[in-house]
Amino acid sequence: MSDEQGLYYQQGVPLPETPAPGDPPQPWGKTNVVGQKQRRVDAYERVSGTAVYPSDIVLPRMLYGAVLRCPYPHARIAKIDTSAAEKLPGVHAVITGQTAAADLDWRYRDGRQTKIFDPHCRFEGEAVAAVAAESPYQARSAIQAIAVTYEQLPFVSDERDAVVDGAPAVHDPGNLAGEPEKYERGDVADGFAAADVVLENSYRTEAELHTPLERHGCVASWDGRDLTIWESTQGAHVVQLQVAGYLGLPTSRVRVIGNYVGGGFGSKLGPGKYTLIAALLAAHTARPVKLFLSREETLLCCGNRPANNMTIKAGVKRDGTLTALELTGSGSGGAYSGRGVGLLDWLVKDLYNCPNVRTELVNIYLHAGPARPMRGPGHPQGAWALEQMIDELAEAIGIDPVQLRLKNIPTVSQARDGNPPYTVTGLKECLTDGANEFGWTEARTRSAAARTDTGHLKRGAGMAAGTWVAGAGGPPSTIVVKLMRDGSVSLNMGAADLGTGTKTVMAMVVAEELGVDPDQIQIENADTGTTHFTYPSGGSKTVPSDAPAVRDAAIKVKQQLLAMAAEDLAVDEADLRYLGQEIVSQRDADKRVAITDIGGLRRRFSVVGVGYRGPNIEGKAICPFAAQFCEVEVNTRTGEVKVLRFVGAHDSGRVMCRTTYDNQVYGGITMGIGLGMTEARILDRGQTGKLCNRSWGDYKIPTALDVPADITSLPIEIDDPQCNTTGAKGLGEPVTIPTAAAIANAVYDACGVRVTGTPITPVQLSRLLAEAAASGDRSPEQRQEG
Amino acid sequence: MTANFSYLKAESLDEAVRHLGENGARLHAGGTDLLGCLRDDVFRSAKVVSISGLDRLRGIREIGRSQRGGGLGIGALVTIAEVAEDRRIREGYTALAQAASVVASPQLRNQGTLGGNLCQKPRCWYYRGDFACLRKGGDDCFAVAGQNQYHCIFGGDACVYVHPSDCAPALVALGATVGIKSRRDDRSLPLSEFYILPEDDPTRETTLRPDEIVTEIMLPKPSANTRSSYRKVRVRGAWDFALVGVALNLTFAGSGSDSGGGGKIERARVVLSGVAPVPWQAREAEQILEGKRLDTATASAAARAATAGADVLAHNGYKVPLLQGLVEEELLKLAG
Ligand SMILES: Cc1cc2nc3c(=O)[nH]c(=O)nc-3n(C[C@H](O)[C@H](O)[C@H](O)COP(=O)(O)OP(=O)(O)OC[C@H]3O[C@@H](n4cnc5c(N)ncnc54)[C@H](O)[C@@H]3O)c2cc1C
Ligand code: SF4
Repeated sequence: MSDEQGLYYQQGVPLPETPAPGDPPQPWGKTNVVGQKQRRVDAYERVSGTAVYPSDIVLPRMLYGAVLRCPYPHARIAKIDTSAAEKLPGVHAVITGQTAAADLDWRYRDGRQTKIFDPHCRFEGEAVAAVAAESPYQARSAIQAIAVTYEQLPFVSDERDAVVDGAPAVHDPGNLAGEPEKYERGDVADGFAAADVVLENSYRTEAELHTPLERHGCVASWDGRDLTIWESTQGAHVVQLQVAGYLGLPTSRVRVIGNYVGGGFGSKLGPGKYTLIAALLAAHTARPVKLFLSREETLLCCGNRPANNMTIKAGVKRDGTLTALELTGSGSGGAYSGRGVGLLDWLVKDLYNCPNVRTELVNIYLHAGPARPMRGPGHPQGAWALEQMIDELAEAIGIDPVQLRLKNIPTVSQARDGNPPYTVTGLKECLTDGANEFGWTEARTRSAAARTDTGHLKRGAGMAAGTWVAGAGGPPSTIVVKLMRDGSVSLNMGAADLGTGTKTVMAMVVAEELGVDPDQIQIENADTGTTHFTYPSGGSKTVPSDAPAVRDAAIKVKQQLLAMAAEDLAVDEADLRYLGQEIVSQRDADKRVAITDIGGLRRRFSVVGVGYRGPNIEGKAICPFAAQFCEVEVNTRTGEVKVLRFVGAHDSGRVMCRTTYDNQVYGGITMGIGLGMTEARILDRGQTGKLCNRSWGDYKIPTALDVPADITSLPIEIDDPQCNTTGAKGLGEPVTIPTAAAIANAVYDACGVRVTGTPITPVQLSRLLAEAAASGDRSPEQRQEG
Repeated sequence: MTANFSYLKAESLDEAVRHLGENGARLHAGGTDLLGCLRDDVFRSAKVVSISGLDRLRGIREIGRSQRGGGLGIGALVTIAEVAEDRRIREGYTALAQAASVVASPQLRNQGTLGGNLCQKPRCWYYRGDFACLRKGGDDCFAVAGQNQYHCIFGGDACVYVHPSDCAPALVALGATVGIKSRRDDRSLPLSEFYILPEDDPTRETTLRPDEIVTEIMLPKPSANTRSSYRKVRVRGAWDFALVGVALNLTFAGSGSDSGGGGKIERARVVLSGVAPVPWQAREAEQILEGKRLDTATASAAARAATAGADVLAHNGYKVPLLQGLVEEELLKLAG
């Protein structure tokens, strides 16, 4: 065994069996690397600043792009005069809709076709013109020197104003984006009739804006007919496909590199207009062009989680059986509203056993920035409504909220055609184990006992549950694992690592199979020039989609090594075991060969395993489940709320890396605190329609001081051999789904005020507390038990 | 985007005021507010005059008894962090230390100066955004009919912004005066007279003339049996301005609030933040407090009086109950 090899391989670690070629791998039993804590494989690079993100790229002769954006929510461009801008020092190109090469079509996520520079601007921040100049400052100055005559048009900037008579239409014929989305099973009228208690309440979540640390943008550079784009993206391969489509290029001629990306949260699943604008400017000037947007621009036009209005009517029997659920909801994904209400009803349809369910969702157009998916689209909003309603029902029938949920655990996915059973429904364990870990009963007993106290600091405990529609992952994913002659290994995968730890998890999978040290694996990822198609890292699908393909690729390497070793040792392949650093005969322990001595490897210099993601099991639903518990303290004089602690209990199948798993739980809860307590897009409704909070000062994401230090991540690990060959389901989105609702329920438990609209700030709560105190009957100090 | 400007780092106060007298000149201290305004094109500057090299504006000095009874002089360039940490301020002028410690974020507190904090520009989002509002020389106030959840309930007129400083209300409550230098002369005035209400001039926040520099903030020696505090309520735990805030400075008779014969409040200062275009002195609350013992009934009556005369806008009505709750809570804390 050579010396170098010792550097790469872990010592004395048992490895899984290698299946015979063509046979499916057995589920892992006990794992040795997978599931452990593991420092990120790129921790040093990220922390030290040596990691080169797309926004760090600087190329020789590179110019800087900037985009002129419409300052009005609705306007038509009457005239553009670029002559002054063109004369400014350092300016190399000014392009508008009139520039021949810039006359490109653009499709927003709802499929509506517009132009890259469309004369009809339907939201503030729509692209009007662009420049390339030698410095970012010159580019900005040039933008300001472009004279545009706008014809301002009537606008509507709140979905509640958009569907009333006389509201200005965003598109012909009006502001309803298609027919309402309807769903029905059973008969809700029967269900309500069978109920002992029927409640109805309305809820609202405010729009949130995507604020990934790395802003949206790219660097574009042409080399003859080949275009290379360094893009901050969740999905290099989808950016490649779409850019090639827009520009009419063969896919092979577009290379997209995005191996580091500073977050996306769903707002970087495809290219932006900025991607194409950079490519156009680069073509126009024959120089590389860097175009990264300012924070304001990203807040205006790079996505949002739509605001949603929801009314739920629910029926329950005294014993806790749900008899009917009805949800009507509305929302707007902005001027190009693909998914203003997308998946808003999923939890109502699928989280609890309920025979009679009806939902109706209305998607509305608005003169505001187009929505993009945000971490668990529709779900945290749906949970905000449903999970508060479940608590209201529990109070009405005098049963503990956890118990009520336990009464209604589904085993099949009722919202899917054919009601397929889940491979595993971990909801029950999330609820019971999570409640235990949290000390639920004690906490609720304490808050109930404290209800009659006269103090103004009130504690309360609340919880909420959730599931996530996706999270099963699936094909395609193609992975290459390469073993070099010295025993070192490289992993080649298409997926981006958004900061979630994808690279680390995948390295651990390779390590588990090959026995190498995960830290020693070289990783090439998210570069369409060198890696293979996979869908963007989104939908909590990356681990369940790509990890099985990584495992497959590693196994393929082992199989080839075993075949080569069988030749060297003149034994039957089936008799050999791959032990990491060497291959040994089971019958005759003297017959062994170090990996680096295998003849085939020495002659070829490398062995390449190509792994694929196989299909998911048929007739089953594969979904993650979640329950979160929290304790809050409400200052009933001021409406200030402190989140004291959180427990996140998550069934996401196998824990792949305990460190990054826990980080997802902390991060998801942090983001949920944002939805529940601090964030709201504020448009100047009824006046100018413009965005009021257009900076990180005014658009308030939580700070470290708003997130409790005491967060417990409790993995609910139930063997799920059917879900895929690694047993892992999605985690990244379920972790933020129940959070805001759990806080609202805890606030209610603390002070008796049910806050139906996000965010729960003193702005809202001080008023609600004062109203409650004035109306007397449910004043916080003298609330009766339900 | 920032328009071009020239930059001068002044070597003496005289040089600074001379250049500040030029048209379009702007004073630069820590730059945390000024540079944001220039970058966002809130206003422009032809010449940025930095006083950051003027070390004589940096220290905190004890003023001897011979001068107006003594006290503390804080140079305009003393950073917010230094104010928050200074032992003399923490012990003698608790309200100021508490106010400084809840300003912005650690980075901004390290860079921002006390002088700059007092002279900072409004945070109204219309003012900071691309709206040609009244305060920027336009015709209208956008907040009156717009998104005014963070706007004023007192002292508003044609402009309804709230003064963003946390230090200013604490300093007003502590009876601070500001020392000012210009080309012509030196002057000083009580901080309570430093700020301008929109009814007097909706385009200026302070009485400072362009060529004037705040050089020092002077605090009188606290009398015995004085307690002070500052607290603000905000949406998030850091890096956030006050929704409402209150600075208290109470002088008790005798030996404390809770003992036999003494304990009555002799003198009360209740100064509010987040509710008016200037640090807002709640005189009715002060009147209720003075001469009384600080018990729950007094605290609650004073809290109610603190919002007397509030004139709420469409979206900021919450400030009334919020302020009452906050004032009550803070008064009771000072009762010990
Ligand atoms: C994101 C953010 C959050 C913030 N949060 C808070 C908060 O919660 N509470 C709070 O109180 N403040 C807050 N601030 C304001 C911050 O405290 C001020 O920006 C800082 O104190 C200003 O000091 P500076 O030295 O940087 O001033 P500069 O930016 O240099 O100057 C600010 C203004 O004052 C003028 N000026 C400065 N010094 C003098 C002087 N000596 N004489 C005359 N004029 C002068 C300048 O011309 C300029 O107009 C926040 C600021 C930011 C950017
Ligand atoms: S409140 Fe004052 S600063 Fe704000 S928009 Fe009105 S005039 Fe301008």
